[in-house]
Amino acid sequence: MTRWKLALAAGALVMGAPFMAQARDVSFVHDKGFWSEAFQQVDKAAAEEAGVTIVESPYATTEQYKAFIQASIAGGELPDLFTWWTGATFNEIVDSGAVAPLDDVWDELVSSGEFDPSAADFFKVDGKIYAIPLLTARWVMIYNKDKFAEAGITGEPKTWEELMADADKLKAAGITPFNATVHEGWRGFVWFQELMLRTDPEALAGLHDGSVPYDSEPVRNVFKLWTDMYAKGYFTDPRSNEEIEDFARGNAGMYLMGEWVVGSLAANGLATDKLGAFIVPNVDASLPSSVIVEAGPIMVSAASVDDPDVQKAVKFWASSAGANAWAKASGNYTGNLKGEAPNPIISKISEDIAAAHSESVLRWWEAVPPDLQGELVAEFNRFMLDPTMETAEDVMSRMQALNEEYWADR
Amino acid sequence: MTREEQDEALLARIGADRIALRDRRRQRRDFGVALLFMAPALVMVVGLLLAPVLCNVYFSFTSWRKFSGLDEFAGFENYTRMFGNPFFGEALGNTAIWVVASIVLPIAIGLGLAVFLRGVRFSDTFKNIIFIPRILAPTAVGVLWFYVYAPEGLLNRALSLVSGRPVEIGWLYQDATVTPAIITTFVWQTVGLVMVLILIGLAAIPKDPIEAAQIDGATKWQVFRHVVLPLLTPTLLVVTILSVLAGFTVFDLLWVMGAAYPGQRSLSLAVYMYFEAFQKGSWAYGSAVAVVIGLVVLCVTWVQALLQTRVDRMVR
Repeated sequence: MTRWKLALAAGALVMGAPFMAQARDVSFVHDKGFWSEAFQQVDKAAAEEAGVTIVESPYATTEQYKAFIQASIAGGELPDLFTWWTGATFNEIVDSGAVAPLDDVWDELVSSGEFDPSAADFFKVDGKIYAIPLLTARWVMIYNKDKFAEAGITGEPKTWEELMADADKLKAAGITPFNATVHEGWRGFVWFQELMLRTDPEALAGLHDGSVPYDSEPVRNVFKLWTDMYAKGYFTDPRSNEEIEDFARGNAGMYLMGEWVVGSLAANGLATDKLGAFIVPNVDASLPSSVIVEAGPIMVSAASVDDPDVQKAVKFWASSAGANAWAKASGNYTGNLKGEAPNPIISKISEDIAAAHSESVLRWWEAVPPDLQGELVAEFNRFMLDPTMETAEDVMSRMQALNEEYWADR
Repeated sequence: MTREEQDEALLARIGADRIALRDRRRQRRDFGVALLFMAPALVMVVGLLLAPVLCNVYFSFTSWRKFSGLDEFAGFENYTRMFGNPFFGEALGNTAIWVVASIVLPIAIGLGLAVFLRGVRFSDTFKNIIFIPRILAPTAVGVLWFYVYAPEGLLNRALSLVSGRPVEIGWLYQDATVTPAIITTFVWQTVGLVMVLILIGLAAIPKDPIEAAQIDGATKWQVFRHVVLPLLTPTLLVVTILSVLAGFTVFDLLWVMGAAYPGQRSLSLAVYMYFEAFQKGSWAYGSAVAVVIGLVVLCVTWVQALLQTRVDRMVR
C-alpha cells in the first residue's frame, strides 16, 4: 500500500471514530472495600465471558459512600451500577427517581429458572423491581463442631429447649455457648431481633412500622429472656474488639451471624469443614418456621440503564456465571438457583429452608427506619454492656422515646 | 475667579493634573500586577474556604435531607431543633470538657517537660521520643490505643500486675471512663508539639532579666514564676489558641476509639455533626451544627486574640 493510501485510511479511521459503536467502561461503585479484590475477579470474568468492562470503585466508609450517592443523585451523575441496602433506605432511593426498574431483567431470570420470583421481594417498590442481588445471606446459628463434640453434643437442636440444653452442656464443659459483642457498634440488634422473631414475629414487624412500642410487653419479654441468658453466662464478653477472630480461636461454641461470616472464619483459620449451621428454633414452638435474611442489592442508574454495555453488566451479575464468579471470589451467595453454593453451610441452610418452608424475614438493620437505626442499635449495645433488667427498662424507655419522636410527624 | 478656581488654573499650568493622572494609572497597573500575584491565593481562599463556608451557612437554612429539600427554605427550623435536642446539649458539654482538658493538660505537661528537659543529658533523645506520636495519623493512634484500653489490653494487664488481681475494665465502654481515656490519648499525641513550641519560646527569652533576678537572690521558682513565665506568655497564648482549635475539632480519635461506645454520637460536637450529616443524611441539620461550632470557635479565638494584643503590649 502506498504511503498516501495509508494516510487516507488512517484519516478515515480518525474521522469515522466518533460514529463507530464504542464499548464503554461500566462503573460499579460500592462501600465494600474488603471485597474489592473479589469484585475485580468478577470484573475479569465479565470481560472474558460477557465482553463488558466493569470498573469497580470502593469507598472507604459507609458514611462517605452514602454521601457520595446522595450528592451524585443531586448532581445527576449517578454511577452505572452501585450497591445499596434493602428496607426503608431502598424505598427512599427509589423515590428519588434516579434508579431504574429492572422488571425485564427479572422476567428473563425467572423464566430461565435462575431465580425464584420470591427472590425479588426485597427489591420491590409499588410492584416494580429495582435491583438484582449482590448477596443473599441467611442469619443462622453457626457452630464449632469440635466444641460441640467436646461438650458431648451429638446433633443439632430442633427446639428452643434443646438449644438451651446444648448451651448448658457447653457451659458445663467450660465453653461459653454464644459469641456476641458490640464490636464496631452495629451488632447489638442481632440477638434482639432473633429473640423477637422466635417469641413474637408480629410484634417484631410492628416495631419496624411504629405500631408496636419498644416498651411493650413482647419487647420486655425478650429482654427478660436475654437477661436470663446473660445471667446464666451464655454469652462471651461483649467488649471484645475481635469478634470473628475470637470465634475462629474457639472462644465459644455457637455464633449467630450471617452466612457470609463462614468465609471470614475460614480466613481466620477456622476451616469450613469444622463448622455446622442451623436455623434458630422458635421459643414459642407453635410459630411457623422463619429465617432472617440480609439481601444486598445492586442498583442501576436510570440514566444509563438502556446502554447496551450496562445491560450486559447487569445480566452478567445476575447470571449463574456471574454468581459462580462472585461465589468463588468472595464466598457469597446471590441466590441464583443455577449457581453453585459457595460452601456446604449455604447448601445445607438452603435445604433446611426448603424442607421447613421457612419464611424469609428482613434483617432488623434494613427493616428499621434508617433515621432510627444508629440510635436504637446503640441502646441494644448499652444493654449488652450491662445486661440487667434495670438497664433493659431504661433502654426500652429511651428507644420508645426515639421511636415516638420519629413516628410522631409521619 | 474664586480661590479654588485660581488653584486649579495654576495646577493645570504646571501639568499637575497630568502627573496625578499618570500616578493613578501607575497605581491601577500596580494593583493589577498585585492582583495577579495574589490570584492563586485568592482563588484558594475563596474556592476552598469562603465558598464552602457560605454554602454551609446556606444549607443550614434549608430542609436538605438525603435526596431532597435543598431548594426548600426552612428558616431557623434546624437551629430550633438543635437547641431542643438533648444529644446536642450532651455533645456541647463534652466539647467543653474537651476544650478545657486540651488547654490545661497539654500545656501543663508540655511546659513541665520543656522546663525539665532544658539542660538535661540526652535531652534531644527525650524530645524526639516525646514528639514521635505527633507525626502519627490520629486514626492510627486511635486504633493503637483501642487495643491498649481493650478489656484484655495493655492497661488492664498492667493494672492486674500491679494489683495482683484480674482487672477487666471496659475503659471505652463506660460513661465515666470513655472521655478521660480518649483525652489521655489526645494528650499523649499532642504534648510533643506543645513542648517544642514552648522550648522555642524559652529559647527566645533574653538571659539578662533572668541573670539580674538571680544576682538579686531570687530562687529558681521565683525566677520561673516572676521572670520566665511572664516572658513566655505570648508563646503560651499561641499554644492555647492551637489547643482550643484542636479541642473543638477533634474527631478522628473519638470516631475510632468510641465506635462501640453506645453514646458515641454525643462525645463531641464534631462527632454529633458527622453522625447527623453523614450517618443520618440530615445535611441541613448537620450544617447547622457546623455553623454553631464555627461561631463558638470564632468567639473563643477572638477573645484570645484580644488577650494576645494586650499581652504583647505588656511585654513591650
